Amino acid sequence: MCGNLLETRDLRVEVNGVPILGGIDLEFEPGLVYAILGPNASGKSTLAKTVMGLPEYKITGGDILFNDESILRKTITERAQLGIAYAFQTPPSISGVKLDDFICRICPDYQCKAEADTLMGETCACKDVLYDDFERLGIRNLADRDLNDGFSGGESKRSELFQVLSMRPKIMFLDEPDSGLDYDSLKVVGHELKALREKGDTTLVIISHHRYVLEFLEVDKVYILQQGRLVYTGDMSDIPALEEKGYEKFLAEVTG
Amino acid sequence: MTSDNLKKRAESAKKKQAQFGEDIDLDNYEYTSSGTSEIESIDDVSSEDQALVREVGFDTSQENVSGSFIQFDTESILADVLLTQEGLEVLPMSQALEQYDWLKDYLWKAVPVDVDKYTARSELEQYNGYFIRAKAGVKIDMPVQSCLIMKKNQSVQNVHNIIIAEEGSELHIITGCATPSNVEQSLHLGVSEFYVKKNAQLSFTMVHRWSENTDVRPRSAAIVEENGTYISSYALLSPLKSIQTFPKVRLVGSGAKSDLYSIIYGTKNSKYDIGGLLSLEAQRTSGKVISRSIATDSSEIIARGDLVGLSSQTKARLECDGLLISDSAVIRAVPMLVARAEGAELSHEATVGKVGAEQLNYLMSRGLDEEEATSLIIRGFVKLKVPGLPPALQSSIDDAIKMSLEGGM
Ligand SMILES: Nc1ncnc2c1ncn2[C@@H]1O[C@H](COP(=O)(O)OP(=O)(O)OP(=O)(O)O)[C@@H](O)[C@H]1O
Ligand SMILES: [Mg+2]
Repeated sequence: MCGNLLETRDLRVEVNGVPILGGIDLEFEPGLVYAILGPNASGKSTLAKTVMGLPEYKITGGDILFNDESILRKTITERAQLGIAYAFQTPPSISGVKLDDFICRICPDYQCKAEADTLMGETCACKDVLYDDFERLGIRNLADRDLNDGFSGGESKRSELFQVLSMRPKIMFLDEPDSGLDYDSLKVVGHELKALREKGDTTLVIISHHRYVLEFLEVDKVYILQQGRLVYTGDMSDIPALEEKGYEKFLAEVTG
Repeated sequence: MTSDNLKKRAESAKKKQAQFGEDIDLDNYEYTSSGTSEIESIDDVSSEDQALVREVGFDTSQENVSGSFIQFDTESILADVLLTQEGLEVLPMSQALEQYDWLKDYLWKAVPVDVDKYTARSELEQYNGYFIRAKAGVKIDMPVQSCLIMKKNQSVQNVHNIIIAEEGSELHIITGCATPSNVEQSLHLGVSEFYVKKNAQLSFTMVHRWSENTDVRPRSAAIVEENGTYISSYALLSPLKSIQTFPKVRLVGSGAKSDLYSIIYGTKNSKYDIGGLLSLEAQRTSGKVISRSIATDSSEIIARGDLVGLSSQTKARLECDGLLISDSAVIRAVPMLVARAEGAELSHEATVGKVGAEQLNYLMSRGLDEEEATSLIIRGFVKLKVPGLPPALQSSIDDAIKMSLEGGM
């Protein structure tokens, strides 16, 4: 198929000399919503981090194409600037860098047209709309906290989501954006992603173990990984059966 | 103590090496023998010198301060108090000693004269410095600013300061020290003694900018009485030859409190040996020693911190964090906890490391390049928030840090 925004071709990845991904072919078209599913340790996070370019994940074979061009030689920064974003599962804390300043920094839309000496997240003046958005995500309390410092699990999810949304990427990998969230926060996150889907200019790739967000968003395509390989490609209609049977039984039946 | 007695003790310690830090041959320097002259007003200070004092945060307009003190070498002094400020004294030490007979009881009381050769020498040579006092019950909102400037080559600036916050008073001091970069070799000996009386609050903020040829050996100590609070923050941001200092705070009255903060930005070949000791000598005393060090170029930093719990129901915490930016720099964190009484609750945390790859990658994934990410991490690390410090003084620290980083990066 042509017109893919991003694709992996026979992608092989190892970590510390241990092979994790054993040749994966995936395609992501612009504007669609994808779910990457699979049992624990099947390589879902590894795939996303490899696409982002994190150095622990060593590519031993295959390719990653963005708009038909290989990005293997691109740095993390270059990939981010191309429009690839990854919401971390456990982001590191960075002291002295406030979340609101940081979001202002990565998203010029939020920034007041301030003098040059307010750069570097020092006394960056942010527009009120930033705080409205914090409010909507239910994390207004994090605005002047240090980045990821002591954020609760659920807070961290929403802060990560906020950051990657702010980057206005072309494709975002959300690593379990729904885990550890209470019912209300789950709804908030669901609505946020739904709004993004409706705008239609971002490809969403959601790694998840829960059906709620996937069904709410009506994902277009479902990829299931197992032991570092793509073992099934389906759609939303597979999700109820998956939940009922579990991966082992479901996959045994469909790959039978 | 009689002054004869003091001189005798000083003589006996004249050759006593300091516990830490590189030894300095004190005979290589010239000491002043002439008296100090007085500068009437800031207008009599040359514009060049005014620029120099401004670099360490001195407000030459004197608009937002309650008092000012400037000392050039050991020679000329400006001491000024806002006319409308009651209950505040800012005097040259020489004058204060003449004026107040009781002051000699405070001289060398917090810092023993025979600690080492530096204190000894300081007593034996001619010195000056400042005497700053807030009288009982007086709350002085605007800070007192002081500035010690060393301009002469091959010479020693010998300073002895005494600061007294009388019972129930509140006093904030910001002090800058600076050496112009054309000075070839010099030594700063600074003795500072702080006395915080019952229910008094004293904050002391230091922003220093020495030259690469200056050795610095400050000797300071504080004695804090019942429910008194002493906050010290030290920002050392420019290169120097070497500094060794290990201020000691004795919390002698119940409920006394002290927090010591320091931030060191090590550059070039500078050698830093900086510590802080909290001695918890009465019940319900508490405090923190917080240090942040960044080592770049070939700098060497030793960050010490000692907590000594001598009484029950005491609580103190030590945080020593170091960030290494260069492969030829070194940071050593030396935290030490000593509990000599049951119920002394002492804790510490020390970290020394490079900018973490995980942090870098994370920031880069948000679109920053490696250099921007590194600089953001460093800027975040050096931020020093001092709770309880007046906003004007906090922003002096922030500005100084910002200025150094911009110069160095
Ligand atoms: N940095 C790493 N060091 C060592 N092993 C790693 C590393 N990253 C991933 N692995 C290993 O690779 C395998 C796949 O991990 P990955 O995190 O990709 O799984 P996952 O599909 O995201 O699982 P989960 O659903 O539990 O999040 C696991 O066995 C994991 O232990
Ligand atoms: Mg995972």
